Amino acid sequence: MFETLFIGLSLTSVLLLIALGLSITYGAMGVINMAHGELVMIGAYTAVLSGIYLGFNIFAAIPLAFLTAALLGLLIERVVIRRLYGRIIDTLLATWGVAIILQQLIRLEFGMTFFGIRIQGLGPGLQQMRVPSYLMQPYEFAGIMIQPYRTFIIVVTILLTLLTWFLMYRTSIGVQIRAIMRNPQMAAACGIDVRRVSAMTFAYGSGLAGIAGVLLAGFRTVMPEMGANVVVDGFLVVVVGGVGSLLGTVLSAGLLGQINGIVSVLYNDIIARAVVFAVVIGIILWRPNGLFSFRSR
Amino acid sequence: MLTLHNVNSFYGRSQALHDLSFEAPDGQIVAILGRNGVGKTTLLRTIMGLTDRSEGRIDLGGQDIGVLPTFARARAGIAYVPQGRMIIPDFTIRDNILMGGFAAGGARHIPEIVPELFPYLMDNLDRPGGVLSGGQQQQLAIARALACKPKILLMDEPTEGIQPNIVQQIEDSIIRLNRELGLTILLVEQNVDFAKRAAASFAMVENGTVVASGAIGTLTDDLVSRHMAI
Repeated sequence: MFETLFIGLSLTSVLLLIALGLSITYGAMGVINMAHGELVMIGAYTAVLSGIYLGFNIFAAIPLAFLTAALLGLLIERVVIRRLYGRIIDTLLATWGVAIILQQLIRLEFGMTFFGIRIQGLGPGLQQMRVPSYLMQPYEFAGIMIQPYRTFIIVVTILLTLLTWFLMYRTSIGVQIRAIMRNPQMAAACGIDVRRVSAMTFAYGSGLAGIAGVLLAGFRTVMPEMGANVVVDGFLVVVVGGVGSLLGTVLSAGLLGQINGIVSVLYNDIIARAVVFAVVIGIILWRPNGLFSFRSR
Repeated sequence: MLTLHNVNSFYGRSQALHDLSFEAPDGQIVAILGRNGVGKTTLLRTIMGLTDRSEGRIDLGGQDIGVLPTFARARAGIAYVPQGRMIIPDFTIRDNILMGGFAAGGARHIPEIVPELFPYLMDNLDRPGGVLSGGQQQQLAIARALACKPKILLMDEPTEGIQPNIVQQIEDSIIRLNRELGLTILLVEQNVDFAKRAAASFAMVENGTVVASGAIGTLTDDLVSRHMAI
């Protein structure tokens, strides 16, 4: 039972990192970023490529993936999203386009395949990130089998969640972000540079997605389509938790991750998936704004 | 001095201000008068840069602020007390006031005059803004605007929908802010008596433009009945 909960908790952790980024960008900017999953994928490929070409291990890959995804997020914000503020359907379609472009860039090895040049670590195939053996070898502690890699995922997620909480609730930039989430016009009228703060928020959320990608690469195969699957789960968490609520996102990721984990052990993955969707539908019917929401529209 | 030259302002494709020109001399209260829906609120929102688009020159102390984004106008010294207050219900009273501080630059703090004007707010700094009554929320919105360290205060019907015992307090505080701090105030007001008591000059708005303006002494009953009577 403990091990089941533990596996659920590690799935929850990755889910949480993905959802945190989505939640703050949607909350602060009203942007549904369909390319968020691709930022996760880019994070995973950053880990794979930095392992091959720079000899980076997972510990060095995490900050690198954060930076790569954050810069890419900043670029997407500058080039696409900034021009479409307030047009939610348009941003949805445009970022979906960005997602497809990113997938193809990886699949086509940045276009190099047209010239017959192969880049190791890219392309349509499956990639693996190497995890140090001391993170893979399970050991026994007080009669319980501990999976060190899953523990590592949980610890990293806890640290990043605390960091996010600190940024949002204990710093000046956090006050500005929360003010923008609640009333962007009044925030601007109070001297908050909404565009700049939004761009930084977007970069931070993207960076978290990049880290989620590295952690995911440790127990799943890395491939160009991997982002598309996880982004749906991320949105489920955000919708259930309530947009822009840190606590809601954490609890909702915990709830959905555990339901998924427990049901897949008891029955199988397919049923687990169905149960998760049923729970999500139930919660949305019961509370359309999510479990925790500071505004009712 | 705030001067508007031939300002047009738009919400989407519909034009809300037409060739509006008007000036607010430093240190004066200027009453913006007119019926509902003639563009008084739009005038304030245009100065703040909150309409979809505007044309013409908005001049603050020789600088054309009409081309700046909203946050830069706030930092240039314009603070806004909007209709409906727009305080943030789940922020504490302290955080609501300090929000204005982002326009002031440097460390954010509660302006010295706030405890004198609104002692109730100071006694309840850690309570959420949403628990306040309408009148107290209005006071909070004024305190927040003061935290911007403004040169010019834009106030949109500050006593509308507020219980009578607080109306007097708010009117007095508006007059004090002008007389003691020398703040220029653009005051959108339906109450002509208060406008006459507080303001030094007025601008009458009709159909998105200023149709009459001048010293408050020249605001005749005839003008009021022509442009404000329903």
